[in-house]
Amino acid sequence: METNTQNPPSIYKQTLLAGLWRENPTFRLLLGMCPTLAVTAAVKPALTMGLAVVFVLLCSNIVVSMMRNLLKPHLRILMFTLTIATFVTIVDLFLKAYLPKMSETLGPYVPLIIVNCIIIGRAEACASKNPILISIIDALSMGAGFTISLCVLASIREILSTGAIWEINILPKTFVPWAAMRMPVGAFITLGLLLALVNVITAKSKSLQTQKNSK
Amino acid sequence: MSKIKFFIQQSWLLLVCSLFFGLLLAGANAVWTPRIEQNKIDKLNKLMSSLIPAAKNFQLAGTLTINSAKGKPIPTDLYKALAEDGDCIGYCFNTAGPGFTDKIELVLAVDKNFKKIAGFNVLSSNETPGFGDRIKQPYYRNQFAGAPAGPLDLEKTGDPKKIDSEIVAITGATISSEAVVDIVNNALPQLKKQMKQKGLIEDGN
Repeated sequence: METNTQNPPSIYKQTLLAGLWRENPTFRLLLGMCPTLAVTAAVKPALTMGLAVVFVLLCSNIVVSMMRNLLKPHLRILMFTLTIATFVTIVDLFLKAYLPKMSETLGPYVPLIIVNCIIIGRAEACASKNPILISIIDALSMGAGFTISLCVLASIREILSTGAIWEINILPKTFVPWAAMRMPVGAFITLGLLLALVNVITAKSKSLQTQKNSK
Repeated sequence: MSKIKFFIQQSWLLLVCSLFFGLLLAGANAVWTPRIEQNKIDKLNKLMSSLIPAAKNFQLAGTLTINSAKGKPIPTDLYKALAEDGDCIGYCFNTAGPGFTDKIELVLAVDKNFKKIAGFNVLSSNETPGFGDRIKQPYYRNQFAGAPAGPLDLEKTGDPKKIDSEIVAITGATISSEAVVDIVNNALPQLKKQMKQKGLIEDGN
């Protein structure tokens, strides 16, 4: 597979980079679409959601990795869900206590992290088969990939819908806000265009790679 | 007996983890509940004092019932707005009703004689951004501050600066504007009646 590498990247580095681009949960795996579409109207809630997912992902990966040898195969999904639900509830309580306004903005999407495919997917695909260190790196990489994707999507939507980013105005006053970008339709259109962009870049880099290899 | 042993063998991890996670959640809940409750009270107080700025303190003075337009009774908290010297200068209620996309929850304030509306504030709503959610903006909200606490009418055109029982709708958001007026019109007479029964306001008003 990797043909042009003199010193093959270690498994740690590979895991770390996978979540950011090659296996980016939002743009490549299309996982966790519900929060991706629902909370990206502005950057602040998107970042909060991203960090909440990073925390839950990290904790659940650590716990699942620790008990991976004790798991009974037919009870594993139950154990994953139990673990994830615990940490999501903790995040939910934390937001309600310390960031009540943000908790209101995110509304039901915080408890819905429980059913976020990224977390249960990583528990199944990575943490239940790998030692703790790799699981931690995997959680951080996937979490970062998810957070960055959400923030990119949210920046575009916030700039076009309010002319501001992080609630700071950057566009001239003459800019007419596109209210549609704040609504679900804006989320779908922006996500679709970004997915197309990611696919174009991937196709381009692939064809470059094959050209290089054939030479 | 062997069956029980089998079940324990299969599920001991689940039982142990449930216990452990349960304790973790109980701990988090115990630590943060007072803060969460305080946040809720702070938010309500902030909303209410934006409606009656002269009030220094808000006191829970009982629970009233408002029948929704469909006849479903909904309990509502009655708050007494107290000035610095302890005089009652108004009342606040929370009330709700259907909006354009979702339920609109309002905090409604009236003066101490229940003659004038002191204003309303949106506790929670999910109206269309850029259109219906302008019910939160001063253009619309200011029309209620000082309006008579009787039936209100929604007008499509008019002078929004004139404070009377005519509320001028928001362009492009007639349904949301109407929803708020309907919520207020539904709540006020019922509240007035119940407060009279409780002797909080004088009869004959």
